[in-house]
Amino acid sequence: METADSSGATAMRVMVVDDHPMWRDSVGRDLGEAGFEVAAAIGEGAQAVRIAASVRPDVVVLDLQLPDISGVEVTRGVLAAHPGAKVLILSASGEHHDVLGAVKAGATGYILKSASRAEFLDAVRRTAAGDAVFSPGLAGLVLGEFRRLASDPAPDTPRLTDREAEVLRMVGTGMSYKQIAERLVLSHRTVQNHVQNTLNKLQLHNRVDLVRYAIEHGLDTDPR
Amino acid sequence: MSLQAPLWRSIAVFRFASLIYAAVLLAIRPDFYRDWGWAWAVIAVMTAWTVVTTAGYATPARRTWLLLSGDLVITALALLSTAILQTHDATKIGVMPITATWLAAPALAWAVAGGVRAGVAAAVVIGACVVSLRWPISGAYSSTALDGPIILLLAAALVGYVSMLSARAEQALQRATEIEAASRERERLARTIHDSVLQVLAMVQRRGAEAGGEAAELGRLAGEQEAALRALVTGDEQPLAGPGELDLSAHLSREASALVSVITPADPVILTEQAVTETTAAVRAAIDNVRRHCGATARAWVLVDDEGSAVSVTIRDDGPGIPDGRLAQAAAEGRLGVSQSISGRIRDLGGSADISSTPGAGTEVRLRVPRAVLPA
Repeated sequence: METADSSGATAMRVMVVDDHPMWRDSVGRDLGEAGFEVAAAIGEGAQAVRIAASVRPDVVVLDLQLPDISGVEVTRGVLAAHPGAKVLILSASGEHHDVLGAVKAGATGYILKSASRAEFLDAVRRTAAGDAVFSPGLAGLVLGEFRRLASDPAPDTPRLTDREAEVLRMVGTGMSYKQIAERLVLSHRTVQNHVQNTLNKLQLHNRVDLVRYAIEHGLDTDPR
Repeated sequence: MSLQAPLWRSIAVFRFASLIYAAVLLAIRPDFYRDWGWAWAVIAVMTAWTVVTTAGYATPARRTWLLLSGDLVITALALLSTAILQTHDATKIGVMPITATWLAAPALAWAVAGGVRAGVAAAVVIGACVVSLRWPISGAYSSTALDGPIILLLAAALVGYVSMLSARAEQALQRATEIEAASRERERLARTIHDSVLQVLAMVQRRGAEAGGEAAELGRLAGEQEAALRALVTGDEQPLAGPGELDLSAHLSREASALVSVITPADPVILTEQAVTETTAAVRAAIDNVRRHCGATARAWVLVDDEGSAVSVTIRDDGPGIPDGRLAQAAAEGRLGVSQSISGRIRDLGGSADISSTPGAGTEVRLRVPRAVLPA
């Protein structure tokens, strides 16, 4: 059943991390029916990090509310163990700092649990394809983070271009990439690139920050 | 554990130390006393009373005005026995009474029990006794006759004040403890609700929307309850806002529902109380407009963008949009809903409101509120 998807290629391997059994089952079933291979469905963050290297998922669907370690730590740990994975956050709520932290740690998508099944499956596909999946909420958080960084005078602090800010604001008010492309007379791909760029800048800055932190505090200490 | 207990304990220590001092003074100069033996009897009474009061004051229930009054009377009597037992010559040159510094204890006890006024009253009684001992003998004004009583008066007032402070601190501490317990309980509830109820509501919303029809309505209701419940369990927090300031994000988030998404930065957006109240009212008016003009199923997004020198709030809907000229026409007809309740409020804050609409692609209201509000 989980041998091939509609395109005939090998099925995408998805790892589901959610401590709520109801959600784990439901999300797993949706993924299975849509032709994804649910490689693992687990309820604890530490376990997810531990098995990531052997499970080798293409996409990790991650709930930020876990009983043991934070979603930020899971994101960082999973990506360190298996750098080929993409992390899509599926969260029930607005734990703003956690979402932002996970995104800075390398997650490339954020979708609310209230999203429909079609929206969710589309998000998993796009995440697997390497695209950033921005809900309006994530656009607002990323925009806010750049606004916060704007008061930081350090020369290597990432800045938004006017166009990027404009695109983020449009995503933040619920506009689809298609609507944005029409409004700004750009190609869909260009809009996607603008969004992707904002994320790359944040993640790069976060890595630079971590390295600087590690150097300042002696390389033998755990960064964070 | 009461904050006053240490004060009572220190009075007991003071009593014992003073008792030893009184005994030493008596032992080294027998020649100051007309009847040395009876003077020792007074010390014996003082010793017994020290034990009684130490035991009595140790438990809050026994700190009665009866014990405090007895303390004052017995101390005064022990003090006044000096008139009979000490030689006049010794009194004249300023030798301490038999009780020595022990006489201060009841004034301190009254101060701890009843505050500044009670302490001063007891100090006046003891001070009057001291003065009455010395005055007839020294004849005229003498500094030594007054020094002791004045110091006692000041000390009693000070201790009374400290006692009052500690009582107040104790009340504050108790209130803080209660608040902490309540907020811990709220956090526990929030966690539990988050782990179970919210997850189920989100699931109902999701499945309902897929099933369509009546189930979709149920899903929408579940979504509304999820938003309301989430606001309830995460709300009431105004962390970084100073006096007269509020977090705009927190206030606007209360407007969220199944159809209205409120998108904010991770950090609070602090504005003056007036700016937050007026902006929230303007956003509410904009959302009402969406309901009125775009129907009950139109979705809306509220985006808060903190640009630093100004805060912009964008309200966009996915309704049919406003035909060209309709806004101006409405204003001309005297229907000032949009311009008054939205633009008017924001203009009063020194900001601006722009309404733009593309037919078929929704309406967008953009409010900009400057950070530094000019004095009106």
